[in-house]
Amino acid sequence: MFPARVGLSTLLLFGAALLPAGAAGAQAKPAEPKPSAPSAQDCLGCHADKDLERSAPAPGRPTSLFVDAAALKASPHSRLECVGCHATATAPHDSPLPPVRCAACHDKARAALGEGMHGGTKAQARTPAPGCTSCHGTHAVRPAAAMSIDTCATCHAQQVQVYQGSVHGRSRQRGDLDAATCRSCHGAAHAVLGKSDPRSPTYHLSLPRTCAQCHADPELAKRHNIPIANVYQLYMDSIHGRAVSKSGLLVAANCSDCHGTHGIKPHTDPTSRVFPANIPGTCGACHAGVLAAYAQSVHGRALAKGVSTAPVCTDCHTAHQIRRVEGTLWQLDVIRECGSCHVESLRTYRDTFHGKVTALGFARIAKCADCHGAHTILPASDPASSVAPANIVATCRQCHPAATARFAEFHPHADPENKTKFPTLYYSYLVMTTLLIGTFAFFGLHTILWLPRSFVERFRRGRTRGEEDRS
Amino acid sequence: MSAAGRYYFRFNLYHRIIHGMVIVSFLGLAITGLPLKYAQTGWGAALSHALGGPFTTGYLHRFFAVITFTYFALHLGYIARLILIRQPGIFWGPDSMVPQPRDMAQLYRHVRYFLGLGPRPRFGRWAYWEKFDYWAVFWGVSIIGASGLLLWFPTFFARYMPGWVFNVAIIVHSDEALLAVGFIFTIHFFNGHLRPEKFPMDPVIFTGRVEEEEFRRDHPEEYEQLRAEGRLEARRADPPPPWMRNFSRVVGFSSLAIGIVLIWLIIMTALR
Repeated sequence: MFPARVGLSTLLLFGAALLPAGAAGAQAKPAEPKPSAPSAQDCLGCHADKDLERSAPAPGRPTSLFVDAAALKASPHSRLECVGCHATATAPHDSPLPPVRCAACHDKARAALGEGMHGGTKAQARTPAPGCTSCHGTHAVRPAAAMSIDTCATCHAQQVQVYQGSVHGRSRQRGDLDAATCRSCHGAAHAVLGKSDPRSPTYHLSLPRTCAQCHADPELAKRHNIPIANVYQLYMDSIHGRAVSKSGLLVAANCSDCHGTHGIKPHTDPTSRVFPANIPGTCGACHAGVLAAYAQSVHGRALAKGVSTAPVCTDCHTAHQIRRVEGTLWQLDVIRECGSCHVESLRTYRDTFHGKVTALGFARIAKCADCHGAHTILPASDPASSVAPANIVATCRQCHPAATARFAEFHPHADPENKTKFPTLYYSYLVMTTLLIGTFAFFGLHTILWLPRSFVERFRRGRTRGEEDRS
Repeated sequence: MSAAGRYYFRFNLYHRIIHGMVIVSFLGLAITGLPLKYAQTGWGAALSHALGGPFTTGYLHRFFAVITFTYFALHLGYIARLILIRQPGIFWGPDSMVPQPRDMAQLYRHVRYFLGLGPRPRFGRWAYWEKFDYWAVFWGVSIIGASGLLLWFPTFFARYMPGWVFNVAIIVHSDEALLAVGFIFTIHFFNGHLRPEKFPMDPVIFTGRVEEEEFRRDHPEEYEQLRAEGRLEARRADPPPPWMRNFSRVVGFSSLAIGIVLIWLIIMTALR
């Protein structure tokens, strides 16, 4: 059963070991070998030599001419004869063979590659240029499903390295098949497009929809302990989401502007762009003026000092649901947000006309930020503060144009129960309360004593003059 | 000698109009003021929104405040006129509103009567609790009115007084108003209308007329004095016509109902 044509080449022993492989090759469909065409055994007679190398280096092509017949046998191309791809091959051949044209069979893939970035002139000008073999290999050809992220890493090493440290990469490493890989965001490799191409899934205006493939699914959020399940809806209704989806603003923040791209990390990770202490920097990438003001404020300074409870942008503006600051609902929500730390100030504010009107749902009256400022907020002890003694009258005059220094002596956060700080108010309150309790105690008792007597009186009268009250 | 059907005037038209203004403005101020005081409660917010929100409610509150200042001025004018015509007994005596030693004595005897330890005191034109009602309104309008004016025109008054006065004004206005509302809707309602002898209401403040039997029973000293001095006939009145009785019932019961609902809300909020 030993086939013929042995001894053509040098390495008989290796060739003999691999000979049985040739038998199946005869049945390969795509390219019918010509009668004169060499068989696999013929080729392997030379190419089974691991040390076989090209005599002169060819740009973009491997130096080694070794063919791993076992790997070929395990690949989807196992049924192909050598000449199925190397159509012009003879055995032996003196001159180097021309590059294999994969497109002879895979014309669709070739066409797709031409539309995408990998087939573009810019990419093709690089060395090595991304061709079929760069990703799929040669004889050990791999289908897309068998490829790993390492395939992308051959060229995009830096991005892949960053990705491996991201929440997506780490989840993948733990075996989580929900987590996004390169293709989840960038699409199939052949027609892959750059982020500046409007057709790309990573295009600025398209990215939210791309992320939403996974992050609009509440079930996924539940499975992965993602706290905000309706993040996509919140974002699309936000000022950023509307600017992106309705106005097509390229400068409006999309998901990656805040969360990053390949290196997305959970907000609990101190290196995350959305870790509380890093949020001002993240927002400040666009809102530079606000960041500068915030950094000077009492809140910004506290954050810089490492106070973890200091409010950052998202505490007032929320993360995904960011609303227009002109909106009444948001303005009233912020008052409660301030009060979540400044409990006493909110309580005393609610005792005043200002606080009662806002409690009733109307914002056209002094709210926290109207007096204290928003991003520029400073303690009254700071001469630059809007509530510092030198500036308070001007602050009041925003609403009360005729306000004077004496007018500004009104205490908008007075606490009548605080005897040491507000003695006048304390005693006013005490007198009024005493008057109230005293009056009701006296007349309450008076009424309680009178009531039974009045019943007796009515009963007695009713007996003597029955019809009287109906007169 | 049947007393039924014989009526005497207790309040003249001027008194009744003034009290009508008091009712309208007092209820108006209570309805427009309480939603702000109780802004944090559900009913306070609902009432405020029903009235068009705090700003509209504020305008309505000031409108009723103007009625209050008007009747207060009219009443001061009335007293000034009595002084000018040298009417005797304005500041002392049985017809005067000024508290006098006999009022204390009658209070003492009234309490003894409550306890079954003595007869009912013989009240004159004004019983001590009626004088208290009068002075409560007089005091209340002055205090609530003055503090309200301060809060109405803060920048004007800040030219003459320090800003902390407005902090005091907020407390005084709010607490004194609560006292007024609480007093009128419980004590005054009981004394004047809801106590079993008068239940469900005493229409005298609307009709101005009191029936002879009731007059003799409630104000015996005044009745006897008028008869002794021969002035009783001058106070004779025609029986209140049906329209006046109906008017009394509609206004009276409406006012009682509004007051009782408001005080019920206040008490429920306080007990919560």
